[in-house]
Amino acid sequence: MPAQISVYDPTAPFRSDGLQERILPRTLVGKTVGFIDNTKPNFDNIADDMAMLLKERYGVKDIVRHRKLLASVPAPEAAIADVVDKCDLVITGSGD
Amino acid sequence: MTLCSTAFKSLGNSQAKALKYPDLPLLIAPHPFGALKRDKVLATAEQCLADLMKLLSGETAGTASVAQADTGPALVSVEDDVDAVNRLYRDKQWTDGLPIVPPTPERVNKMLTGTTRKREEVVALVAPGFGAATVERIAINAVMAGCDPACMPVLIAAIDAVSSPEFNLQGIQATTNPVAVWLLVNGPVVQELEMNYGPNCLGQGNWANATLGRALHLVLLNVGRALPGEMDRATHGQPGKYLFCCAENEADNPWEPLNAERGLAGQSTVTVIGAEGTTNMNTHSKVADDMLRVVAETMKRPAGNDYRTGGEPWIIFSPEHAEVLKSAGLSKAEVKKRLWEASKMPARMFTRRDYEHSVLARKPILGDIGPDTLLPVCNTPGMLGIIVAGGPGTHSVYVSSFGNTRSVTRPVALMVT
Repeated sequence: MPAQISVYDPTAPFRSDGLQERILPRTLVGKTVGFIDNTKPNFDNIADDMAMLLKERYGVKDIVRHRKLLASVPAPEAAIADVVDKCDLVITGSGD
Repeated sequence: MTLCSTAFKSLGNSQAKALKYPDLPLLIAPHPFGALKRDKVLATAEQCLADLMKLLSGETAGTASVAQADTGPALVSVEDDVDAVNRLYRDKQWTDGLPIVPPTPERVNKMLTGTTRKREEVVALVAPGFGAATVERIAINAVMAGCDPACMPVLIAAIDAVSSPEFNLQGIQATTNPVAVWLLVNGPVVQELEMNYGPNCLGQGNWANATLGRALHLVLLNVGRALPGEMDRATHGQPGKYLFCCAENEADNPWEPLNAERGLAGQSTVTVIGAEGTTNMNTHSKVADDMLRVVAETMKRPAGNDYRTGGEPWIIFSPEHAEVLKSAGLSKAEVKKRLWEASKMPARMFTRRDYEHSVLARKPILGDIGPDTLLPVCNTPGMLGIIVAGGPGTHSVYVSSFGNTRSVTRPVALMVT
């Protein structure tokens, strides 16, 4: 067997402390759904259509809408606090 | 939950793990979703909601991912042969594509002699993966890049700087834009490391410039987990993502250097900049007004991010160009003000979609924007970065920025010898 050496793995793992479990409501009837628009083209349009369908077909009570200033910056803290306070489910946009 | 286009699914999944929500569900729209005609969007909305209802009813319940606990860098056994080692790093996607120096325990221990910081100390969590950049992991990547141990304080300061919120490393690492981290060094450490600030300072040939710049990007890749095509979503990328590093030419600078401008005169500093590529500005003019006019015209880029969002672009004046401006009685602050005014661009030069984007993005700072509004490249003249670097020649360099980023300067904690 050829001689062996030890070398380091240069990567870091994803953090495992404080993992959050998926908590989704079983139904959206009577619930509030939020949207955070990532400002990319058509997110506003699909949020309009989904909001309409959520209310008409799926019994959603309220929709909360927020928009980031730019795609490449985080959502404003006030927007995050608002959806945390009001929403049972939040849909954010990512990508083009 | 996140709604993303097919091209961004891998980013969405990895980002959810990085942010400690390994089972965050994704709703997927066909890419490029933004190109869909308005009347076609409804069908995607219906499909996304059908998928959402399946998720809620548990028909496609996710499986909790088991994240690996961070117990420090693992040692891997490999044949004692440089080709075998490089095959391992290539297969594992642990390199930037270039061969590496094997990071053996002996080499890493030697690298750690370049700092007084403890090896397990966490310098920063590096976006977008938010892996822990311990001093030891920085040393491992520094070995791979070929750094000398004396580079460690500069590298540690740079990792600290990129993690500062205003730098927006998350955006820089995950964007489709071609953005690299430009590492700029000032102060006594430049001489200590024999860095290049003169002829060809952004080119090949200097050990410290090359290995420092490469080591920084290896940490961003390996610890930040910005793997190309996965969390690094760059459409093309750019050569600066291998390395982009130089020092300022303080000896031939007629103005105050960057460390002095940032309140750290005489100290060794690193400055990190979210930079797009370099644009040559070749002018033989010896007339300051004429030179400033053509520099300002070169800055106007309706497809660049700086004008759309209000960025932080940079100019690297050659010593000869800087001397022309200084001889005309202009301070650095005056040059910034003149260029900021002269480079204003009418908003109508954008495409219609980019114009609409800019109207929203820059309204909080600039107020209402119309087609004839003259947009400054950055929000204030002081935000235009100016340094002096390079050797003899009638060239200066324009470096446009990612836009949503602000440069960060940190002092370098040098070893006391």
